[in-house]
Amino acid sequence: MIELMNVRKVFNAGKANEFSALNNVSLHIPGNRITVLKGPSGSGKTTLLSIVGCMSRPTAGRVKLIDREITSLPERFLTDIRRSTFGFIFQQPNLIKGISVLENVMLPAYPLGDQRKDLCSRANQGLEQLNIVKSGSKVEWLSGGEAQRVSIVRALINNPSIIIADEPTAHLDTKLSYRFMEIVEKFKSEGKTVIITSHDPLVYDSSIIDKVITMRDGKIEDTPA
Amino acid sequence: MLSFLLLHASISRNAQTQNLQLKASLVHELGLTDLCLFTEARYTRHLSQADLYTAFQDHPLSLEHFPSGSFTEPNLSGIR
Amino acid sequence: MQSWLEKQRYIVDFTMSSLLRRKVKNIGLLVLYTLIVFILASIIFFTYAIKREAAFILQGSPEIIVQNLIAGRHDLLPVSFLDQIKSIRGVANVESRLWGYFYDSLVGANYTLLTPPSQAGSLKSDGKKTFVGSGGSDIPTPTEEKNLYEYEGAPLEPGTLIIGNGVARMRSIGKGDYMPFMAADGEIMNLKIVNTLASESELVSSDLILMHESDFRKLFGISSTYVTDAIVTVSNPSEIETVANKIKKHIHTARPIIRDEILRTYSSIFNWRGGMMIVVFSAAVLAFVIFAWDKASGLSAEERQEIGILKAVGWETSDVIRMKFWEGAVVSLTSFFSGVILAYIHVFFTGSIVFEPALKGWSNLYPNFKLTPFVNAEQLTTLFFLTVIPYTVATIVPIWRAATIDPDTAMRHTGN
Ligand SMILES: Nc1ncnc2c1ncn2[C@@H]1O[C@H](COP(=O)(O)OP(=O)(O)O)[C@@H](O)[C@H]1O
Ligand SMILES: [Mg+2]
Repeated sequence: MIELMNVRKVFNAGKANEFSALNNVSLHIPGNRITVLKGPSGSGKTTLLSIVGCMSRPTAGRVKLIDREITSLPERFLTDIRRSTFGFIFQQPNLIKGISVLENVMLPAYPLGDQRKDLCSRANQGLEQLNIVKSGSKVEWLSGGEAQRVSIVRALINNPSIIIADEPTAHLDTKLSYRFMEIVEKFKSEGKTVIITSHDPLVYDSSIIDKVITMRDGKIEDTPA
Repeated sequence: MLSFLLLHASISRNAQTQNLQLKASLVHELGLTDLCLFTEARYTRHLSQADLYTAFQDHPLSLEHFPSGSFTEPNLSGIR
Repeated sequence: MQSWLEKQRYIVDFTMSSLLRRKVKNIGLLVLYTLIVFILASIIFFTYAIKREAAFILQGSPEIIVQNLIAGRHDLLPVSFLDQIKSIRGVANVESRLWGYFYDSLVGANYTLLTPPSQAGSLKSDGKKTFVGSGGSDIPTPTEEKNLYEYEGAPLEPGTLIIGNGVARMRSIGKGDYMPFMAADGEIMNLKIVNTLASESELVSSDLILMHESDFRKLFGISSTYVTDAIVTVSNPSEIETVANKIKKHIHTARPIIRDEILRTYSSIFNWRGGMMIVVFSAAVLAFVIFAWDKASGLSAEERQEIGILKAVGWETSDVIRMKFWEGAVVSLTSFFSGVILAYIHVFFTGSIVFEPALKGWSNLYPNFKLTPFVNAEQLTTLFFLTVIPYTVATIVPIWRAATIDPDTAMRHTGN
């Protein structure tokens, strides 16, 4: 599904604080599977995810998405791909304050210009499925677990085929973390590809995980699968 | 909205032509030369009768203590 | 097409709710912005209306005024000059004016004392011919004229006064009252007010006191061989300038002032170049620039974070910019319209109450006038380009820079 070839990412290239976050990373992420990127903090997991999710470009190397080279596509196309292919769940819910839960959930669909009625019903349906009833309230009033579930609904609004989650359980207690893993399992049963970064054993030791990739200092550590 | 404003302006302008004519005829009859805007200084009360070239005449572009003098210009034709 | 429209609607909706989110900040912005537009618009409306009104009203002012300058001062004009001027070719008529200032220590106001020229009788017939109104409709009917400074059909008599409305207001006096003056020789003159000038004419007549020639001469001790200045009527209006030059050649101390100069004086009154105006104007523009700049450079961390989120969830750079464009447009258009309308009300309904202290200065007597609303689309356009455009641009530029940042910042700057 996703293929990375000799990907490097250098921050602040040419400056005194030059930092190489990814060094010649090559890996394959299978479709319709749950893949976990594990590794200590600072090992380059987030950087890798953002490259996979078309949010930033690699300094060198190539990225292939469903047999399509995306490294050199212009920003417009990347945005297009990102919008239609990926759903993002961040470590923080990253909701926009001051507007309603419903509006937050619908945000990714605005640029597509769907019919308002369809969009609203899709959003409400998604919220219902994750047991969120306060669709009209402001996001400030939500608890941590609720906020994350709202951000999950937002990630799903455009019906993406790949879900990317960066440290999704970092701010959740054990119970909510298990709840999250249940949701992830459901994604898989719906045929979606899931990529999660985590250094939480509850995530990478879970029985539903298909593949674990370990990272350290911007490189892949060979682990027998 | 702005065209409404312009419309209102032109309507009330028409309504006030009578007034304008009244003022114009008064000016004509009395041989007046100036608007009575500033009554604080002689050169701003009759702005067009003041000048820029007469020696020591306070004129409206000098730094002075009459506020009206600082936003008006005298009759500049004297310098031609 | 359908979806494009829908998309714009979504973006506008989001903009609106995003504006409402920061209510205090945005309302403050709106108020400040409106205030600046209000001040600029008021200045533009006021100065333009005054100029237009002056241009219209002063069409009726004398073709040539001849002053006498002695040792750098405006001096009295010897009556003998009148005949000299009359003998110049091209001069149709010469009329004398008697006028001067009077300081009323009781109320601290300055009045303009004037003897109506028509007392001599000749101006009326000759003057009318050269009155340069734009067409016959501008010449008022004689009955209207009479009402201005004659009472009950009779001309002003010795011992009587006609006062401007401002004078009446200052002294709270009116028709039938007496006004005492101390004459140059120390004698007290008690003059009777027989009428007041129409209040609609305050813009030209507020501080006037019309009195009979004999009273005027007695009051100021001016002998009958002198007048204040002279009004010259020219037989051919195209020769005004030539005649003025001839007068100057004949009488070396004379200073002729032609009507064009009077009109020009008022067309350049409140010029942007002139003193206070430039101060007010540049202060307003400066305030505007500062706050546009603040707006421009002050992309808060929160705003950056939001832009990051929007981009991460799939908004294009152009969508973000469009949103910010609408944000700027909504703020600036709202302020523009409210500022302009408030200014219109201010200038044409409340008599520019905000400017009054500045216009009034140290004077106690200030005319109560209602300006005729001379407003044109050009002014509004100028104002629009002066305020809305720079603001909108100032809001977009920094956003554009911010919006081109990689969206992965949303994953890093965790500001929740
Ligand atoms: N924009 C950036 N500029 C400079 N250094 C960065 C930037 N983003 C990340 N890094 C560095 O790259 C390394 C990898 O970061 P990250 O991918 O976030 O690690 P992880 O997600 O595994 O904790 C870190 O040392 C981080 O400091
Ligand atoms: Mg990370």
